[in-house]
Amino acid sequence: MSIRTIKLEVLRYRPEQDKEPFFQTYTVPCEEEWVVLDALNHVKDEIDRTLSYRWSCHMFVCGSCGMVINGEEKLGCKAFLRDYSGTIRIEPLRNFPIERDLVIVQDDFIEKLTSVKPYLIPKEEKSIEQGTYKQTPTELKTYKQYSMCMNCLLCYSACPQYGLESEFIGPAALALAHRYNTDSRDVGRSAREDMAAAHEGVWACSFVGACSQVCPKDVDPAGAIQQLKFSSAVDYLTSYLPGGKR
Amino acid sequence: MSSQAQQASMAQDGATVRRPYVRPISKTSWFMTHSRYKHYMLHEISSLFVAIYAVILIVGLFRLGSGPAAWQGWLDAVTSPIGILFSLAAFVFSIIHATAWFKAVPQAMRLMRGGEVVPGNLIIGVHYVVWAVVSLFVLILAGVA
Repeated sequence: MSIRTIKLEVLRYRPEQDKEPFFQTYTVPCEEEWVVLDALNHVKDEIDRTLSYRWSCHMFVCGSCGMVINGEEKLGCKAFLRDYSGTIRIEPLRNFPIERDLVIVQDDFIEKLTSVKPYLIPKEEKSIEQGTYKQTPTELKTYKQYSMCMNCLLCYSACPQYGLESEFIGPAALALAHRYNTDSRDVGRSAREDMAAAHEGVWACSFVGACSQVCPKDVDPAGAIQQLKFSSAVDYLTSYLPGGKR
Repeated sequence: MSSQAQQASMAQDGATVRRPYVRPISKTSWFMTHSRYKHYMLHEISSLFVAIYAVILIVGLFRLGSGPAAWQGWLDAVTSPIGILFSLAAFVFSIIHATAWFKAVPQAMRLMRGGEVVPGNLIIGVHYVVWAVVSLFVLILAGVA
């Protein structure tokens, strides 16, 4: 049952025919429980098959449908239409090149994510027969918040530092470095230090804090980066002490 | 096959050629695009006032050491209308600066106690209490309170 009609203003960019992006307006009949992603799906299914955007789970798990809705970084599956009035303006995530319509080029992030070694580096490799790497609930709590990241890239879109200085490794990748550094089963901190403690790492962050404000999973990447700054500064200073690395 | 050759081949097949569009970002006015960036700039700029006020106080100390006439000159300057106006502005910006950083402390200083993360509001609250106590102490020392 349709209960109201909304207007969507969607940024379009079709590389084979558009010199630059432009806004296209769609009129969509929507239902009370719809989210922005439902409205886009309606456009795709019923109005304009050429519209491109990413989505997968429609349930706030996969992190694929990140977009800028009325100037705010949101997941399309979590932005309820009933919370909006008037025309809804939808743009691709900021600070990334636009591949097509709402689809951005993620390559830079993927490279940066890989560079921080976002996986467990244990002291000793265990075979499957030897069992799992165990830890206590308290040890889990130390890093659990940072492990909730689903790489939706809202934080990169909101981060002005990443927009202005593209070498910056950025919020999500650094938060994941911190996640593994603080995992009791991991000994890879020094292997991640080269990237995390570099100028393009934590020190390029000026703590605007926008990443944490837009994070849909409350990961608080800004907090993770400040904690990495602290440990990196301690490492640097202690390296000058007797027995230090310098 | 190189990626260029791949793209050329795709174009011949009628498939899409990649031409990612990079949106320009203003290096001088990016912070005007959202209120959260304006707040950030406000508490960054507030540090200037805090720093200038600190320099004025240090100059005052040197004036005090230079004799009664120099000290009186410094006192006259800071109690002039412009001096009072600046002090008021510095006071407002100091509050903006302090509250912004108090708010940020739990992010930079994540504490675990008894297997639980210490709530951020508790950490912020302690900062406000210490701020109030220190301020009261200074006011008593200055003979105001």
